[in-house]
Amino acid sequence: MKKTLTLLVTSTALTAVIGAFAWSAVRTPAGANERSFAAIYDEGLKALPLILASTDDDDNREYRRMPGRQDGDHEDEDDDDGASGWRNPAPAGSVAPPQNGLFGNGTPPQVKVN
Amino acid sequence: MKSVLATLAVTTALTLPSLAMARAVTLTTTLNNYGGNGAYLALYVTDAKGSYVGSLWMAGGKSKYYGHLADWYRETGGDPAQINGITGASVGAGRTLEITLDLADALFDEGYTLHVDAAVENMRDSPNEVAVALTADGAGAPVRGRRYVRSFSYGM
Repeated sequence: MKKTLTLLVTSTALTAVIGAFAWSAVRTPAGANERSFAAIYDEGLKALPLILASTDDDDNREYRRMPGRQDGDHEDEDDDDGASGWRNPAPAGSVAPPQNGLFGNGTPPQVKVN
Repeated sequence: MKSVLATLAVTTALTLPSLAMARAVTLTTTLNNYGGNGAYLALYVTDAKGSYVGSLWMAGGKSKYYGHLADWYRETGGDPAQINGITGASVGAGRTLEITLDLADALFDEGYTLHVDAAVENMRDSPNEVAVALTADGAGAPVRGRRYVRSFSYGM
């Protein structure tokens, strides 16, 4: 939905700009005191600071700043953009526990939530 | 035939001591009804000098939130290699997480401390929510956490 709106806004803005230039070129009489739209636009462009728009998806902003979601929530969210740049860890059972000297070589971890 | 028996004897002799050097330990964590979403919990061990030794469990699989587990994160930088294979789901309020791990005997009565860091969405982070010395005598004795953990205990 957002993509569609963004495309619509972008295409409308482009059309308006192109149209304005075209209209200005056609309508401005030679030697007239009025300045063309293109000239006004060029002047304004020099005066305006460059502002970068954020690409964050506002819908998820509140969620993103919070820890503690139950697994299964927001499954469509990308999972590999940790704050430190790390990927998510391998879940229990998928690989052996780390060799940190704390674990024996016996049974794999078993977990239960009541 | 003799060589097979000899091989079996040798492998058994080598295997038995290693089995005896580890034991199944159950870590039980019960959370308060704090009225929020599931908690991220980091369980890890420090030595007698307070230096980080390693992690035992991570409840919560999204690395982007590990920064809220402040003490654990400071020691590990959030490195997933520390918790690969020992990571599960976050734990809901009022629920009990029971983890059974095969842990080295050397962890007990040698000055090691087990820590739990906790963090909950929209609520205050709680580093070092629980800190309990790992001793044989302390097994089964419940310990209360600072904010989110109603009780924590380990059983052997």
